Amino acid sequence: MIAVRAGEIDKLGELFERHHGPLYGFFVRHTGDRTTSEDLVQLVFYRILKYRHTYRDEGRFSAWIYHLARKVTADHFRRNSIAPIAADPDDFHAVPDQAPHADEHAVAADDTARLHAALAALDPAQRELLVLARFQRLKYEEIARLFDISIGAVKVRVHRALKDLRDIYFKLSREPAA
Amino acid sequence: MNCQRIQESFLDYQDGRLTSAETAAVRDHLKTCLDCQREWAGLQEISLKLDRLPPVEPSPRLRTQFYAMLETHQREADSRSPFVLMRSRLDRFFSALLPARPVLQFALACLTLGAGLLVGARYLHPAADPETAAKIAELQGKVDSMVPLVTYSLHQQQSTSERLKTVFATLDLKPSDQRAVSDLLSALAFDPSVNVRLSALEALYPHADQPAVRSAVTASLPREPSPLVQVTMIDFLAASRDPAAFSTLDAVSRSQTYDKAVRDAARRALAQL
Repeated sequence: MIAVRAGEIDKLGELFERHHGPLYGFFVRHTGDRTTSEDLVQLVFYRILKYRHTYRDEGRFSAWIYHLARKVTADHFRRNSIAPIAADPDDFHAVPDQAPHADEHAVAADDTARLHAALAALDPAQRELLVLARFQRLKYEEIARLFDISIGAVKVRVHRALKDLRDIYFKLSREPAA
Repeated sequence: MNCQRIQESFLDYQDGRLTSAETAAVRDHLKTCLDCQREWAGLQEISLKLDRLPPVEPSPRLRTQFYAMLETHQREADSRSPFVLMRSRLDRFFSALLPARPVLQFALACLTLGAGLLVGARYLHPAADPETAAKIAELQGKVDSMVPLVTYSLHQQQSTSERLKTVFATLDLKPSDQRAVSDLLSALAFDPSVNVRLSALEALYPHADQPAVRSAVTASLPREPSPLVQVTMIDFLAASRDPAAFSTLDAVSRSQTYDKAVRDAARRALAQL
């Protein structure tokens, strides 16, 4: 990133290759929309280029990129005047399985869809925190800096988010299939 | 530990971040507490499910769009004018040279300011050029000449009768009292009241032997607006027999701007001189 800041723009390609996958995962888990998520990843890298002079080599680059990602997400929701949309469980179904044990795979796909639905039903702030802690594997210290709260508060919120997610998930499991 | 403390440490227990003693305490508690066992099992199950979620991959469209954007930026950067390129290089040079942390930037700014003041105080003593010095001297002279006027203006805060009283009080003063003489001359030159000016002139008679008094009265004559005071001034100069007043009296006697009585008085005074 220091090279990019110094004007070697082509070096941004390396950063893209290293970070676009996890970043895309963050947006998909958070917004529940694959196409929008690709646009948001693009927007983050556009902002990296635009604001590269403001980068300070004090923390990890990943912390900075998630700081930009959070801003981009907030702008997106504000611009569209919507809360994060509830994901369509169908969107997350695996590709129809032609392999042996297809019935087991179908059960697993249902389970996955239910978990995505539970994630989508979770409070947006809780979902954002959970995605950063559980999917992006950010350290509690990094999350604490991002949210400007204590590490203890991060742990409490992550724990609460997991409990709420579990409750929603089991509630969805008990409901009869449509 | 109670149930709340145990459940608060579940995340660290799950991640293996607890000390061996804390781990043992959680394990012992879980053996006996059904509530915490249920809580722990639920947490484990949902965490496991989250971990097993299949990874999501973007479509090739993302990569294509990103590299198109990068190429556009690269082209724009390459086509920059030499001036912009130079500025960018200068920016980079200074950003490499100067500290990035605001605290250090502030310290450097203070240091530079201090050094600048020091060098300025040590080496920069601008020598006043002759023209400036002459102007300053001229200004100083003007300021000095303004002092009596300002002083007298302050005295003007009093009423006319008060000023008259002040003038009469000087009648008994000794001739050597220069401050009183100076006040009388100021009254003669600047006081708006004809009566005060006349009284001041009368009070100056005992000091008519002083050349400074005579020349001040001579100088005040052309500026005097009242013919009455002008005639009295001319009588004063004639009585003091001051040859230096000759040219002024001569000019008054010839000038048509003066009242006829004034011109006649000037001619009489010239005859006496």
